Amino acid sequence: MAKPLVLQLGDRELAFAMNKVDRSRLYGYKEVEALDDQGRRCELATLTADGRTVVGRGGTAFGQLSADGTWRDKGQLRPIDVDGKEIQSVPSSFGAPIKLFETATVDEYLNHNIRLVYQLSTECDRADLDLELARGTIFKFPYSYRGGLEADAGFLLQGDDGNTFFAVGNPTKVDFIGLRQMAMFEDEGELDESELLDFDMI
Amino acid sequence: MPEINIANSAGRDALVALESVRSPLKVRWVDEQGRQIESARLLKGPIDRDLDALLARYGELPDVGKALRDGDPEVDLEQTGRLLRNTSRVYVDADRRIVHKAQFWEIVRNPDGSQRERRPRKLLDPNLAGEQPLRWSGVYVRREQACRKFVFSSKVQLRHTNGLTYDFLYGMAKELEEKDCLMLLGAGPKSKEPLILRRGGSPYRGFLEGRTRGDMYALVLHFSDLELKAPQETTPPEAAP
Repeated sequence: MAKPLVLQLGDRELAFAMNKVDRSRLYGYKEVEALDDQGRRCELATLTADGRTVVGRGGTAFGQLSADGTWRDKGQLRPIDVDGKEIQSVPSSFGAPIKLFETATVDEYLNHNIRLVYQLSTECDRADLDLELARGTIFKFPYSYRGGLEADAGFLLQGDDGNTFFAVGNPTKVDFIGLRQMAMFEDEGELDESELLDFDMI
Repeated sequence: MPEINIANSAGRDALVALESVRSPLKVRWVDEQGRQIESARLLKGPIDRDLDALLARYGELPDVGKALRDGDPEVDLEQTGRLLRNTSRVYVDADRRIVHKAQFWEIVRNPDGSQRERRPRKLLDPNLAGEQPLRWSGVYVRREQACRKFVFSSKVQLRHTNGLTYDFLYGMAKELEEKDCLMLLGAGPKSKEPLILRRGGSPYRGFLEGRTRGDMYALVLHFSDLELKAPQETTPPEAAP
């Protein structure tokens, strides 16, 4: 049985089961089938730059190379943030109860790209939490499924249908734009007069 | 640069720029000397050295295991370890040969996995920057309600290209901010069709949001292909006897 997500509101701990919400479960899904001229199924593969070598599924891997092109094992590397400081790992969100105290504004929520949604359900008495969520409160907390270098943003909110949902997302940077910050299209280059008189353009 | 042809509430339209709104990078990997690491894609083995090819060559799995123990039939010394750049996607048939003329079908399935329809695949064309501008639909959803009804998985920002389009977009952002609403944005003659950013891309419902700060604006187009609602319990179809 999957480990529950334990949330703490005040002194009360509530253990929630998580039920993933995605398009396939709400609307169905599409599969694409490729057939050759004999009606046999084809599989996707990769053709390398030489135009001859074909690589099937599982035939590629990712590696890390340093600036001089030499191979580096993951164990030899250090994770740092954009300011150059070493990153401390975060624990899994299923290791201890998560305290619900920080909230998000609508602006803050809309500034995130949500990539996962779960419906939460519990047998515990959740009247206090439901009251808070029904007021429109969006609780936020860092979320990491198995622990690691970075935590995603987690949001707890009530859906329009009255159910409780947990959304996982990443923050984005929405810029305010002034008059001088207009988009620049690529320069098409100087016009060559001989091209204007080129009638062989059929 | 991608563009969008859009009209405001007064029916004035303009072609403006679209920009991605990305998540800022949080983690970088460096080596012992503090130098930035680059990810690379490498070739492990070509298709004539994969498991299916080895099974065709040696027979059963135990024989493949024996061959792997005694030699390195899965390794092509000329290819293994090569960096992969400028690759193409191709289809191969059951004999692992490239197929030059493939037919594509879409199988549409219900949430329980049962087949609903089988049809030739159709690649959808982008519809944000067509000849007809995306109309001001006038269909608004309050921002708090929108958060509780839809899941916004990605977004883009609209940006002006000259002084006139600055006024145009600023006005749109101000109008939406004052309403405190997102506006549904659709494509097609009746503004009902979903938005498609690139050819063959997934269709999304678009929601336009406006914010201002002094003489600056932010006009954000949120994309959603999922409602925030509980899935119904489904039972898989019974297997045929």
